[in-house]
Amino acid sequence: MNEIDKYLREHKPAVKEDPTFLLETNRRLDAVEGIKAEVDCERSRGRVALIIALAAGLAAGVLLTLLLYLYPVHSISADGRFLEHTRLLLDSWKQYLIFPVAALAITLGLVLSRDRRKTVHL
Amino acid sequence: MNRERFISLVRAEQEPLRRFLLTLCDGDAALADDLAQDALVRAYVASGSFLGLSKFSTWLFRIAYNCYIDHCRKARPDRTSVEDAIALPSDDASDASFRYQQLYQALERLPQKEKAAIALFYFEDRSIQEISAILGIPSGTVKYHLSQGRTRLKQHITR
Repeated sequence: MNEIDKYLREHKPAVKEDPTFLLETNRRLDAVEGIKAEVDCERSRGRVALIIALAAGLAAGVLLTLLLYLYPVHSISADGRFLEHTRLLLDSWKQYLIFPVAALAITLGLVLSRDRRKTVHL
Repeated sequence: MNRERFISLVRAEQEPLRRFLLTLCDGDAALADDLAQDALVRAYVASGSFLGLSKFSTWLFRIAYNCYIDHCRKARPDRTSVEDAIALPSDDASDASFRYQQLYQALERLPQKEKAAIALFYFEDRSIQEISAILGIPSGTVKYHLSQGRTRLKQHITR
Protein backbone atom coordinates (compact mmCIF):
# COMPACT_ATOMS: atom_id res chain seq x y z
CA MET A 1 0.00 0.00 0.00
CA ASN A 2 2.90 2.35 0.60
CA GLU A 3 3.62 2.41 -3.08
CA ILE A 4 0.12 3.54 -4.00
CA ASP A 5 0.18 6.06 -1.14
CA LYS A 6 3.41 7.48 -2.50
CA TYR A 7 2.07 7.52 -6.05
CA LEU A 8 -1.07 9.40 -5.01
CA ARG A 9 0.83 11.94 -2.95
CA GLU A 10 3.20 12.54 -5.86
CA HIS A 11 0.37 12.96 -8.35
CA LYS A 12 -1.70 15.63 -6.66
CA PRO A 13 -3.66 17.12 -9.58
CA ALA A 14 -2.58 20.63 -10.52
CA VAL A 15 -5.24 23.27 -11.09
CA LYS A 16 -4.53 25.88 -13.71
CA GLU A 17 -4.58 29.39 -12.32
CA ASP A 18 -7.67 31.08 -13.66
CA PRO A 19 -8.06 34.78 -12.86
CA THR A 20 -11.51 34.78 -14.47
CA PHE A 21 -12.85 32.19 -12.04
CA LEU A 22 -13.69 34.65 -9.28
CA LEU A 23 -14.94 37.18 -11.82
CA GLU A 24 -17.36 34.55 -13.10
CA THR A 25 -18.35 33.76 -9.51
CA ASN A 26 -19.07 37.44 -8.91
CA ARG A 27 -21.09 37.63 -12.10
CA ARG A 28 -23.21 34.68 -11.01
CA LEU A 29 -23.64 36.11 -7.53
CA ASP A 30 -24.87 39.36 -9.11
CA ALA A 31 -27.49 37.32 -10.93
CA VAL A 32 -28.44 35.59 -7.68
CA GLU A 33 -28.77 38.95 -5.92
CA GLY A 34 -31.04 40.12 -8.73
CA ILE A 35 -33.25 37.06 -8.39
CA LYS A 36 -33.28 37.38 -4.59
CA ALA A 37 -34.37 41.01 -4.86
CA GLU A 38 -37.08 40.07 -7.35
CA VAL A 39 -38.35 37.23 -5.14
CA ASP A 40 -38.35 39.48 -2.04
CA CYS A 41 -40.23 42.15 -3.95
CA GLU A 42 -42.75 39.59 -5.19
CA ARG A 43 -43.22 38.23 -1.67
CA SER A 44 -43.75 41.62 -0.10
CA ARG A 45 -46.20 42.54 -2.87
CA GLY A 46 -48.08 39.29 -2.20
CA ARG A 47 -48.11 39.98 1.54
CA VAL A 48 -49.48 43.50 1.07
CA ALA A 49 -52.11 42.22 -1.35
CA LEU A 50 -53.11 39.53 1.11
CA ILE A 51 -53.45 42.03 3.97
CA ILE A 52 -55.47 44.40 1.79
CA ALA A 53 -57.69 41.56 0.62
CA LEU A 54 -58.20 40.36 4.19
CA ALA A 55 -59.03 43.85 5.44
CA ALA A 56 -61.35 44.46 2.49
CA GLY A 57 -63.04 41.12 3.04
CA LEU A 58 -63.57 41.79 6.72
CA ALA A 59 -64.83 45.31 6.11
CA ALA A 60 -67.21 44.13 3.40
CA GLY A 61 -68.42 41.28 5.58
CA VAL A 62 -69.00 43.52 8.57
CA LEU A 63 -70.72 46.12 6.42
CA LEU A 64 -72.98 43.57 4.82
CA THR A 65 -73.88 42.00 8.14
CA LEU A 66 -74.67 45.42 9.58
CA LEU A 67 -76.79 46.28 6.59
CA LEU A 68 -78.71 43.05 6.90
CA TYR A 69 -79.36 43.72 10.55
CA LEU A 70 -80.24 47.38 10.17
CA TYR A 71 -82.27 47.09 7.02
CA PRO A 72 -84.04 43.75 6.95
CA VAL A 73 -84.98 42.79 3.46
CA HIS A 74 -88.53 43.52 2.43
CA SER A 75 -88.78 41.59 -0.70
CA ILE A 76 -90.56 42.88 -3.63
CA SER A 77 -92.72 39.86 -3.59
CA ALA A 78 -94.80 40.95 -6.49
CA ASP A 79 -93.73 38.20 -8.75
CA GLY A 80 -93.43 35.12 -6.85
CA ARG A 81 -91.61 32.98 -4.46
CA PHE A 82 -88.01 33.09 -5.66
CA LEU A 83 -87.22 36.41 -4.03
CA GLU A 84 -89.11 35.41 -0.94
CA HIS A 85 -87.13 32.22 -0.66
CA THR A 86 -83.87 34.07 -1.19
CA ARG A 87 -84.76 36.61 1.45
CA LEU A 88 -85.61 33.88 3.93
CA LEU A 89 -82.42 32.07 3.17
CA LEU A 90 -80.27 35.16 3.59
CA ASP A 91 -82.20 36.08 6.69
CA SER A 92 -81.55 32.79 8.38
CA TRP A 93 -77.86 32.65 7.34
CA LYS A 94 -76.95 36.31 7.55
CA GLN A 95 -74.64 35.87 10.53
CA TYR A 96 -72.41 33.61 8.42
CA LEU A 97 -72.31 35.83 5.36
CA ILE A 98 -69.02 37.31 6.48
CA PHE A 99 -67.17 34.09 5.69
CA PRO A 100 -67.99 33.68 2.00
CA VAL A 101 -67.54 37.41 1.44
CA ALA A 102 -64.14 37.39 3.12
CA ALA A 103 -63.08 34.26 1.26
CA LEU A 104 -64.15 35.79 -2.03
CA ALA A 105 -62.26 39.00 -1.32
CA ILE A 106 -59.09 37.11 -0.35
CA THR A 107 -59.22 34.96 -3.46
CA LEU A 108 -59.79 37.98 -5.63
CA GLY A 109 -56.90 39.78 -3.94
CA LEU A 110 -54.56 36.83 -4.50
CA VAL A 111 -55.54 36.44 -8.12
CA LEU A 112 -55.09 40.15 -8.82
CA SER A 113 -51.73 40.32 -7.06
CA ARG A 114 -50.33 37.59 -9.33
CA ASP A 115 -51.45 39.06 -12.59
CA ARG A 116 -48.03 39.96 -13.92
CA ARG A 117 -44.85 38.06 -13.36
CA LYS A 118 -41.64 39.49 -14.65
CA THR A 119 -39.24 37.18 -16.46
CA VAL A 120 -35.88 36.91 -14.76
CA HIS A 121 -32.77 36.02 -16.75
CA LEU A 122 -29.75 34.36 -15.15
CA MET B 1 -22.78 36.11 6.01
CA ASN B 2 -22.40 39.06 3.69
CA ARG B 3 -21.07 38.90 0.17
CA GLU B 4 -17.62 40.34 0.92
CA ARG B 5 -17.04 37.79 3.66
CA PHE B 6 -18.28 35.00 1.42
CA ILE B 7 -15.96 36.03 -1.42
CA SER B 8 -12.98 36.32 0.90
CA LEU B 9 -13.61 32.79 2.20
CA VAL B 10 -14.09 31.50 -1.33
CA ARG B 11 -10.85 33.14 -2.47
CA ALA B 12 -8.96 30.99 0.03
CA GLU B 13 -10.87 27.83 -0.90
CA GLN B 14 -11.19 28.09 -4.65
CA GLU B 15 -8.06 26.16 -5.55
CA PRO B 16 -8.70 23.13 -3.30
CA LEU B 17 -12.34 23.15 -4.35
CA ARG B 18 -11.50 23.18 -8.05
CA ARG B 19 -8.86 20.46 -7.55
CA PHE B 20 -11.33 18.27 -5.65
CA LEU B 21 -13.89 18.59 -8.43
CA LEU B 22 -11.21 18.12 -11.09
CA THR B 23 -10.36 14.77 -9.50
CA LEU B 24 -14.02 13.79 -9.25
CA CYS B 25 -14.52 14.75 -12.91
CA ASP B 26 -11.55 12.60 -13.96
CA GLY B 27 -9.53 15.55 -15.22
CA ASP B 28 -12.27 17.39 -17.10
CA ALA B 29 -11.27 20.92 -16.04
CA ALA B 30 -14.14 22.71 -17.78
CA LEU B 31 -16.76 20.51 -16.13
CA ALA B 32 -15.00 20.78 -12.77
CA ASP B 33 -15.01 24.59 -12.95
CA ASP B 34 -18.66 24.59 -13.97
CA LEU B 35 -19.57 22.43 -10.99
CA ALA B 36 -17.42 24.62 -8.74
CA GLN B 37 -19.36 27.69 -9.89
CA ASP B 38 -22.66 25.89 -9.28
CA ALA B 39 -21.48 24.88 -5.84
CA LEU B 40 -20.49 28.45 -5.00
CA VAL B 41 -23.86 29.79 -6.08
CA ARG B 42 -25.63 27.15 -4.01
CA ALA B 43 -23.38 27.92 -1.06
CA TYR B 44 -24.07 31.65 -1.36
CA VAL B 45 -27.83 31.09 -1.51
CA ALA B 46 -27.63 28.81 1.54
CA SER B 47 -25.03 30.90 3.38
CA GLY B 48 -27.67 32.05 5.84
CA SER B 49 -27.96 28.47 7.06
CA PHE B 50 -24.21 28.15 7.70
CA LEU B 51 -23.98 28.26 11.49
CA GLY B 52 -20.24 27.80 11.79
CA LEU B 53 -20.61 24.41 13.47
CA SER B 54 -18.14 23.00 10.96
CA LYS B 55 -15.33 24.64 9.01
CA PHE B 56 -16.46 26.72 6.06
CA SER B 57 -14.36 24.58 3.73
CA THR B 58 -15.99 21.36 5.00
CA TRP B 59 -19.42 22.87 4.41
CA LEU B 60 -18.42 24.11 0.96
CA PHE B 61 -16.91 20.77 -0.04
CA ARG B 62 -20.07 18.99 1.02
CA ILE B 63 -22.12 21.27 -1.22
CA ALA B 64 -19.64 20.70 -4.06
CA TYR B 65 -19.84 16.95 -3.59
CA ASN B 66 -23.64 17.14 -3.74
CA CYS B 67 -23.38 19.16 -6.95
CA TYR B 68 -21.16 16.47 -8.41
CA ILE B 69 -23.61 13.73 -7.36
CA ASP B 70 -26.51 15.69 -8.92
CA HIS B 71 -24.48 16.08 -12.09
CA CYS B 72 -23.77 12.33 -12.22
CA ARG B 73 -27.46 11.55 -11.81
CA LYS B 74 -28.35 13.58 -14.85
CA ALA B 75 -25.10 12.95 -16.71
CA ARG B 76 -25.28 12.96 -20.43
CA PRO B 77 -24.54 9.60 -22.04
CA ASP B 78 -22.36 11.26 -24.67
CA ARG B 79 -19.73 12.40 -22.18
CA THR B 80 -16.22 11.80 -23.48
CA SER B 81 -14.34 9.35 -21.33
CA VAL B 82 -10.68 9.62 -20.46
CA GLU B 83 -9.90 6.74 -22.83
CA ASP B 84 -11.49 8.69 -25.70
CA ALA B 85 -9.67 11.81 -24.68
CA ILE B 86 -6.31 10.11 -25.10
CA ALA B 87 -6.96 9.82 -28.80
CA LEU B 88 -7.50 13.56 -29.06
CA PRO B 89 -4.55 15.80 -29.77
CA SER B 90 -3.53 17.66 -26.63
CA ASP B 91 -1.40 20.72 -26.07
CA ASP B 92 1.02 21.14 -23.19
CA ALA B 93 -1.26 23.46 -21.32
CA SER B 94 -3.90 20.80 -20.92
CA ASP B 95 -3.22 20.22 -17.26
CA ALA B 96 0.12 18.53 -17.90
CA SER B 97 -2.26 15.94 -19.18
CA PHE B 98 0.03 13.09 -19.88
CA ARG B 99 1.35 12.94 -16.34
CA TYR B 100 -2.17 12.63 -14.99
CA GLN B 101 -3.79 10.52 -17.66
CA GLN B 102 -2.99 7.25 -15.96
CA LEU B 103 -4.26 8.57 -12.63
CA TYR B 104 -7.49 9.91 -14.11
CA GLN B 105 -8.07 6.69 -16.04
CA ALA B 106 -7.71 4.72 -12.84
CA LEU B 107 -9.90 7.15 -10.88
CA GLU B 108 -12.61 6.94 -13.51
CA ARG B 109 -13.05 3.29 -12.69
CA LEU B 110 -13.69 3.94 -9.01
CA PRO B 111 -17.17 4.32 -7.52
CA GLN B 112 -18.03 7.94 -6.59
CA LYS B 113 -17.55 7.60 -2.84
CA GLU B 114 -14.19 5.84 -3.16
CA LYS B 115 -12.99 8.44 -5.62
CA ALA B 116 -14.13 11.27 -3.35
CA ALA B 117 -12.53 9.68 -0.29
CA ILE B 118 -9.22 9.21 -2.14
CA ALA B 119 -9.32 12.78 -3.48
CA LEU B 120 -10.01 14.29 -0.07
CA PHE B 121 -7.54 12.16 1.83
CA TYR B 122 -4.57 12.25 -0.54
CA PHE B 123 -4.99 15.45 -2.51
CA GLU B 124 -6.68 17.71 0.04
CA ASP B 125 -5.09 16.28 3.20
CA ARG B 126 -8.41 16.03 4.98
CA SER B 127 -8.85 14.00 8.15
CA ILE B 128 -11.15 10.99 8.29
CA GLN B 129 -13.63 13.03 10.39
CA GLU B 130 -13.72 15.81 7.84
CA ILE B 131 -14.19 13.35 4.97
CA SER B 132 -16.96 11.74 6.96
CA ALA B 133 -18.69 15.12 7.32
CA ILE B 134 -18.22 16.01 3.65
CA LEU B 135 -19.48 12.71 2.27
CA GLY B 136 -22.13 12.27 4.95
CA ILE B 137 -21.01 8.77 5.91
CA PRO B 138 -19.58 7.33 9.14
CA SER B 139 -15.81 7.34 9.74
CA GLY B 140 -15.62 3.55 9.53
CA THR B 141 -17.19 3.65 6.08
CA VAL B 142 -14.69 6.31 4.98
CA LYS B 143 -11.84 4.03 6.02
CA TYR B 144 -13.44 1.16 4.14
CA HIS B 145 -13.81 3.27 0.99
CA LEU B 146 -10.21 4.43 1.27
CA SER B 147 -8.97 0.89 1.59
CA GLN B 148 -11.13 -0.32 -1.30
CA GLY B 149 -10.08 2.64 -3.41
CA ARG B 150 -6.41 2.01 -2.78
CA THR B 151 -6.76 -1.66 -3.70
CA ARG B 152 -8.60 -0.84 -6.92
CA LEU B 153 -6.16 1.90 -7.87
CA LYS B 154 -3.24 -0.43 -7.32
CA GLN B 155 -4.80 -2.83 -9.81
CA HIS B 156 -5.29 -0.12 -12.41
CA ILE B 157 -2.12 1.88 -12.02
CA THR B 158 0.98 0.29 -13.40
CA ARG B 159 4.16 2.21 -12.80
